[in-house]
Amino acid sequence: MTLIASKLKENILAMLPIIAIVLLLHVTLVPLNIGQIVRFLIGAVFVVIGLSLFLVGIDLAITPLGELTGEQITKPNRLWVVIIAGIILGFVISIAEPGLIVFANQVNTVTSGLISSRAILITVSIGLALLVSLGFIRIVYNIPLFKILLVLYIIIGLMALFSSPVFLAIAFDASGATTGVLAVPFLLALSIGISRLKRDAKASEKDSFGLVAIASAGAIMGLLILGFFASDLVFTDPPLPDFSGGDSILSPFLQVLPSSLSDTLVAFSPLLLIFIILQIFGFKLKQRPLFRIIKGFIYALLGLLIFLIGVNAGFMEVGDLIGETLASNDQPFFLLIIAFFLGLFTIIAEPAVSVLTHQIEDITSGYVKRRLVLIPLSIGVGFAIALSALRVLIPELQLWHIILPGYIMSLAMMFFVPKLFVGIAFDAGGVATGPLTATFTLAFIQGAARAYTTANLVVDGFGMIALVALAPIITLQILGFIYKLRTRKAGV
Amino acid sequence: MDHISILTDYQLLVVIVNFGLGSKVLKIAKQEGIGGGTIVIGKGTHHQPILEFLELAETRKEIVMMIAPLRLVNPTLDALEEKMKLHKPNHGIAFVIPVAKFMGMGKYDRSYKLNEGGDVMTEYQAIFTVVDKGKGQDVVDVATQAGAKGATLINARGSGIHETSKLFNMEVEPEKEMVLILAKHDIVQDIISAITHELDLEKPGNGILFVQEVHQTKGIR
Repeated sequence: MTLIASKLKENILAMLPIIAIVLLLHVTLVPLNIGQIVRFLIGAVFVVIGLSLFLVGIDLAITPLGELTGEQITKPNRLWVVIIAGIILGFVISIAEPGLIVFANQVNTVTSGLISSRAILITVSIGLALLVSLGFIRIVYNIPLFKILLVLYIIIGLMALFSSPVFLAIAFDASGATTGVLAVPFLLALSIGISRLKRDAKASEKDSFGLVAIASAGAIMGLLILGFFASDLVFTDPPLPDFSGGDSILSPFLQVLPSSLSDTLVAFSPLLLIFIILQIFGFKLKQRPLFRIIKGFIYALLGLLIFLIGVNAGFMEVGDLIGETLASNDQPFFLLIIAFFLGLFTIIAEPAVSVLTHQIEDITSGYVKRRLVLIPLSIGVGFAIALSALRVLIPELQLWHIILPGYIMSLAMMFFVPKLFVGIAFDAGGVATGPLTATFTLAFIQGAARAYTTANLVVDGFGMIALVALAPIITLQILGFIYKLRTRKAGV
Repeated sequence: MDHISILTDYQLLVVIVNFGLGSKVLKIAKQEGIGGGTIVIGKGTHHQPILEFLELAETRKEIVMMIAPLRLVNPTLDALEEKMKLHKPNHGIAFVIPVAKFMGMGKYDRSYKLNEGGDVMTEYQAIFTVVDKGKGQDVVDVATQAGAKGATLINARGSGIHETSKLFNMEVEPEKEMVLILAKHDIVQDIISAITHELDLEKPGNGILFVQEVHQTKGIR
């Protein structure tokens, strides 16, 4: 099977359960009008095609670019090159992340303009830049990931003690928003490129993961620091989403075209810039590999555009409606069950998840199989969405009630789990929060929050991404533990 | 054991299939009685000009390498052809290469057979060592001390008779490293002894080593 055929097959399989669950709801609890159904189905086709093209593009362009850049950084064998490269790369990737830009605007709105979106963009990007640099140093100096993560999260924990609960939710959400569709594959490839030069194969493999996790911590820290300077916050409810598509089928797709196009172009610009600069001064690739990367960029760009159009025009509205209808039905049980299954299935269609799982397969030569990673990942995200729905139902359940024990558990598990899986699990946390979760599933939770009278839109609207980022860390470490138990040599 | 060209009762069975099917191949082979195998990830291409222009011609492959006793080679090949449908196009290929020396797998019956064909001795031999991930560099170090000029490390996964595990009903093979060393005949035995001793290949579960004849080389001095 060719590359594109295998990706298409993979994504169709990933999309079918989501379509099934929406259609099932349509004939049972949440009847949709014909326009919504048709738009959703067209959206699903867009998502499948867009995702396939995007992933081919990642394989052809972004991953090679990341690996080449990683090798280029370590080649001079100078520490300052590594540090400065980390800061520059981290900053430019983060500042152009569409997910973060949307997120920053959202925070600006709910804080009644007290925190400007620019302040968020810049603090998060600086936090990420410094920690990407730290992540590079870690790889070069062989500092074990679990030690770094332990220190980082203890610092975050101390900072969190002095933050307001709402701001805590915002900060943890930021980590998911920064590590978006393009940043994740690029960061993963960067760490692979850097660790590849190592002599010790075991260390090289372990160090291929963990950079995304460290970078995410940077985003959280950046926002928590920002929070110290912005006390006495007044929170206002976010504006209601406008789904004025009605019965018209095509117009929503045209409406989201300009914003999706600008998101795509903005997201790609730093990577293109890095590529052009390094091609001239560093890589000096020959024609064939050069054209290959250029073609890959075209695929990825087109793919992301089609994907975003599909999600924005076809999925958000349906997600919102399902959440709202189920919550107003006054059958909390159904809301929780549907939340679980929505989380379970949407995560498989997340672009970055596909990139991470393939990367894991390649790095471990197939020892850790894609499907085996997807099972705990899906279950984890399913629980995360169900917990988010539970927070809507029970206002007393605050985010830190879940996050605090969750992270303590995650950190404690690091000591028992094979170190390869520590990196994979913490990376998966940043990877799980992609554009599909941030739109479709988030719209579902926000819809539910709106319908539920006791729910607070600000408090419940934030925090879902934080939970999605937390859950895989636990479930994938459990997988690592099972691996440890089951793959011991028998009878020797 | 002197360094006369010898052929063993073992052969190397190589199967190349689409990505994801390697574990299945290994499972089928094990059912036929083969002790274990090593799987390497590779890339293949389709020869279609349009796809090649679009850079879409590439496919991911898995290469499965198994050491098989002569009597098992044909039954295993037949079983693989039938179950993997190798006779159909694009379902994979399989081939067999003779093995000159073989040790490991906890087998002590390495019954070397003198090659009676006379002087087919070649200048170089290829030594393949498959060990647990992380030990590849040890193999290289030992071999270099014993006179090898260089080595190539290949990431792989694989399982022997001692390593069968399943997670959620899926076969899981531990990670391995395959080390390829090309060496002149006169030092091959030294290198093998050094590796075997250092990595304790005589004991089962520590890795395997096999040697193949090389007919021509370029670039080695």
